[in-house]
Amino acid sequence: MQLTDKQLDAMAELGNIGASHAATSLSTMLMSQIDMTVPEAIMVDIANISDYFGDEISALVVFEIQGELHPGGYVVLHLPRESAIRLTNTMLGSTDMERELNEMDESALLEVGNIMVSQFLDATATLLGIVMLPSPPAIAIDMAHAAFASIVAQIAVDIDEIILFRTELKSGMHDIQSTIVMLPDTNTLDTILKLLDEVLNPQL
Amino acid sequence: MTEPRKPEMKGQNVGIGEYYTGDFVMTSIGLGSCVALILHDRRCKKGAVAHVMLPESNGKMERPGKFADTAVPVLYDELISGGSNKRDIVAKIAGGSSMFKHFKGNLDIGSRNVAAVKSALEKYHIPLVEEDTGGTVGRSVIYYPEDNGKVIIRKADGKCIEF
Repeated sequence: MQLTDKQLDAMAELGNIGASHAATSLSTMLMSQIDMTVPEAIMVDIANISDYFGDEISALVVFEIQGELHPGGYVVLHLPRESAIRLTNTMLGSTDMERELNEMDESALLEVGNIMVSQFLDATATLLGIVMLPSPPAIAIDMAHAAFASIVAQIAVDIDEIILFRTELKSGMHDIQSTIVMLPDTNTLDTILKLLDEVLNPQL
Repeated sequence: MTEPRKPEMKGQNVGIGEYYTGDFVMTSIGLGSCVALILHDRRCKKGAVAHVMLPESNGKMERPGKFADTAVPVLYDELISGGSNKRDIVAKIAGGSSMFKHFKGNLDIGSRNVAAVKSALEKYHIPLVEEDTGGTVGRSVIYYPEDNGKVIIRKADGKCIEF
C-alpha cells in the first residue's frame, strides 16, 4: 500500500504526540532532560531494512498492540548496546561499562520499555479515540536487523513495504540514545489513517 | 539507528526477500527468523543467495526470494539457465532462529522457514550439504563462490562458523 505525503505527515504527527509522552516518562525515570528528534514516518521496502537496522548488537523490547484493533501490529523500543548499558547503569547505580547485558539489565529494560511504550500507545490511542494497550513485553539482545526482521515477518506476509514510524529520544547527560518504532498491521494502519483524517479534518 | 548505514561486511548485501546470482561475494546481514539459502555450483564456482523471510508464498510470485517455496526453484532455475549442471548444485542454509522466547504471537517462523526450505530442496533433489540453523541468536552470513563456496557465519554471541 502506498501512503500519500499527507498521510505520512499525519502519521508522524500522531507519533509525535505519543513519543512526547514517552520522552516525559523517560525524563522522569532518568531525572534528566530528554531531547527528541522530529518524528518521521517513512515507507521502507523490506529489502532495505538493513539501511536502518544493521548487525550491531542492540536491545530490542517488543510489544504487540492490543485493544480494539486485531491484529494491531507492534511497537519496538530499540537501544544500541552501549546506550542500553548506560541506561541500566543509571537506574541501577553502576558505572561499569565493560560488561555484558545480564538478566538484571533485561528486566530493567523491560520495565523502562513498558512505561515508555504504555505512555506512547495511550497518548496516540486517546487522540484517535480508541483503546490501544501494549502486550507484556519481550526482549532480545541481539543483532538489531535480526531481531527487527523477525518482528517484521509477523506483519509482512502480504506486503513488501512497511511504514516505519520512528523518533529518537536522547539523554545528553547520560549519552543514551533510543528509538521508538511503530509497525502497524495493514488493517490497523487503515483504521489509524481513517481516524486521523477525522481528527485532523473534522466534518462540521 | 540514526542515519542509513552500509553493512560492515564487503560484498553484495542480499536484503530481505531479494536474491542474487553470480560469482561475486554475497552477504546477508542480521538473519533472525529469516534463512539465507545458498545454492552453490561446485564446478563453475558460482552460486545464488536468497534472503527468505517466510515459509509459504500462497501463490504470490512478485518476490520469489521472500518465500521458501518460491526461492528454491527461482535460484535453481537461475543457475540452470546460466549453464550450471544439476549434479554440481549443492545447498547450504543458515538462519531460522527464534529470537523472542516468551512472546505470545506467532514467533515460531524461524523453524517453519527452515522446514519449508528443506522440503523444497528435497522436492528439487538438491543435496543440503551444510547448515547452521535454529537456536536463539542472530547470524550474519558471507558467501564466497570462487573460494569453493566457502560460507562464513558470524553469530550474535561472538561465535564464528565456517563451512
